[in-house]
Amino acid sequence: MKRHEVLVIGAGPAGLSAAIEAAKNGMDVAVFDENARPGGQLFKQIHKFFGSKEHHAKERGFNIGKDLLKEARDLGVKVYLDATVMGIYYDKEILVNHNGEVDHFKGDTIVIATGAAENMVSFKGWDKPGVIGAGAAQALMNLQGVQPGEKILMVGSGNVGLVVSFQLLQAGCQVAAVIDAAPRVGGYGVHASKVARTGVPFYMKHTVVEALGEDKVEGAVIAEVDDHFQPIPGTEKTLDVDTICIAVGLSPMSQLADNAGCEMKFLPKKGGNVPVVNEYNETSMDGIFCCGDVAGIEEASSAMLQGKIAGSTASYKNGYIDEDEWQQSVEKYRASLEQLRTGMFAPQNKGRTDMTETDEGIPLSKSLLAKGYVTDEELAEFPACSTKVSGVHPVIECTQNIPCDPCQDACKFGCIKVGSNISKLPVINPEATCTGCGMCIASCSGQAIFLVNEDYEDGFATVALPYEFLPLPQAGDKGKALDRSGKPVCDAEIVSVKSSKVMDMTNILTMKVPVEYAGTARFYRA
Amino acid sequence: MTKIVRTAATEPFKPMPDDDMIVCRCEEITKGEIRKAVYDGMSTTNEVKRWLRCGMGLCQGQTCQKNVQSIISRELGLKIPDIGQITGRSPVRPVVMEVFANDVLDVHEEA
Ligand SMILES: Cc1cc2nc3c(=O)[nH]c(=O)nc-3n(C[C@H](O)[C@H](O)[C@H](O)COP(=O)(O)OP(=O)(O)OC[C@H]3O[C@@H](n4cnc5c(N)ncnc54)[C@H](O)[C@@H]3O)c2cc1C
Ligand code: SF4
Ligand code: SF4
Repeated sequence: MKRHEVLVIGAGPAGLSAAIEAAKNGMDVAVFDENARPGGQLFKQIHKFFGSKEHHAKERGFNIGKDLLKEARDLGVKVYLDATVMGIYYDKEILVNHNGEVDHFKGDTIVIATGAAENMVSFKGWDKPGVIGAGAAQALMNLQGVQPGEKILMVGSGNVGLVVSFQLLQAGCQVAAVIDAAPRVGGYGVHASKVARTGVPFYMKHTVVEALGEDKVEGAVIAEVDDHFQPIPGTEKTLDVDTICIAVGLSPMSQLADNAGCEMKFLPKKGGNVPVVNEYNETSMDGIFCCGDVAGIEEASSAMLQGKIAGSTASYKNGYIDEDEWQQSVEKYRASLEQLRTGMFAPQNKGRTDMTETDEGIPLSKSLLAKGYVTDEELAEFPACSTKVSGVHPVIECTQNIPCDPCQDACKFGCIKVGSNISKLPVINPEATCTGCGMCIASCSGQAIFLVNEDYEDGFATVALPYEFLPLPQAGDKGKALDRSGKPVCDAEIVSVKSSKVMDMTNILTMKVPVEYAGTARFYRA
Repeated sequence: MTKIVRTAATEPFKPMPDDDMIVCRCEEITKGEIRKAVYDGMSTTNEVKRWLRCGMGLCQGQTCQKNVQSIISRELGLKIPDIGQITGRSPVRPVVMEVFANDVLDVHEEA
């Protein structure tokens, strides 16, 4: 039997953060993960994250994972990989399937940070090859470098469905449509808009009714649903796809907590059956903590903070820090957590459909919720989207209250303000002068910032946009400019392409368009 | 513990057009079989699991549990907490017997 003071199950953001916190305070910590690669969900996330600097905003998910792993290892945390925890037994003993053997470990504290599993929907033909989970699609693309298919139907418009749709486009797949049974796009508007502007149609109030094909997916039938989510006969549409990707939510993988004897509760808002935890993420079993998605589906950013709170509490309970130090650290992490849990997508607002305006009192875009993009008329209500400014200036098409502020940090010239409540909409400071450096475009996790210059040339304007596709266009290339819905609207010529290390793989394309399209041209296609 | 609310189905089983749809992929259990189990008297997720093996395969219910539950709850007109969850048991992941045979028995050395 091997001993460590703290046994952490799951090397995702929650588990690694708990391990780091406890190890920092001097505890002997071991982390177990069933995968060969630690990092949990983070290792599949190639997009830039939201939040504030302290939440690793604008860093790409996999880099956050790498940083956490390095920090843990530097602190002497023992990380066991290919190590599946099979069960938790009396007196904090765990059984681990490691290297083809059953190994026994014993601890004083156990942190369960096992994350979540994907939900599936069943429909006619859903068991055919070609129907895959969004997580599987990500693993294929981002870990193995394999396209999951050529033509994809995405089922689910939450952040996972939107992020994975964009990644599928980046991997060179076609996304035939994003559908959702709900009447409104579930994820962040900025994620939806970056998919919609490439030309992907959104069908809300639609579900998939059949996967066509003999022994693999050779098409999908979708249909509109009524208010009870039942397909309406006669509304069926057939889509030419070879892959149906399912992103309809996650369920906490809480079996180990149940197995350990923790009090459990079925809470739909948290995603399913979850252990009941107190304000320190401790379960009903003394010394057994649960944090991250296993305690309720949230974000990596909140998972990290929950992990830190658990790690700090374990350190206090075992005498490694005194009460003052514990309370101070917990207060700090809790304040940071509160920042994240604000805005229209906050956990307490989950499932709400009655919001009609932003905190600032601006009407929310209905088109964004129905089709994935904001209309010109709706955008006119947002002060940061005005194009009636002379010279080069930012246009910030970020129209929902989400906890995010890298744009404010990015502008060294003080052009962009979010303020201390990071869920406020970014505003443009009319006093400051924009130099056109482009850092705001590259830092915006939502790819929602454009630089517009209506005075570029007689009759022509330039629009600079974030671009994360290959092959990268070159200056002088000619093509079409697409509007927010992905419809080609005018000819466009690339006048410059900017890429640099600080921009972290977000390239800035500047295209020249007739000046009347300065307010609508938002994407480029060769 | 989940409170068990017994409301046995009172009407006879009526076949539905999609009864042949597989719901539990690992054990190949169809929607019709799950619906029928309810009419045979099963009224919790665990009972249906023991009766049909849905949720006992490779994925251990990770994929199908929610879909199985929604079928049972719709047939019985109950909410998910009323029909309960599959009990979380060790091993939480399938393990090949060879691994169990390779138990690291250094327990005695310390004792
Ligand atoms: C497509 C997508 C996009 C996302 N985008 C964002 C974003 O932009 N910003 C953001 O903040 N969050 C984002 N998230 C959410 C974020 O990834 C998760 O909330 C976060 O990873 C949860 O962390 P965790 O540590 O709780 O669990 P996980 O990251 O899931 O880690 C749990 C780990 O535990 C392991 N494990 C489970 N059971 C066992 C066992 N029995 N034995 C050993 N190991 C086990 C798992 O294999 C896994 O490695 C996204 C998620 C997805 C799927
Ligand atoms: S382009 Fe540069 S100067 Fe202009 S708003 Fe963006 S960050 Fe500020
Ligand atoms: S504009 Fe600012 S707040 Fe909005 S997504 Fe971009 S970085 Fe975040």
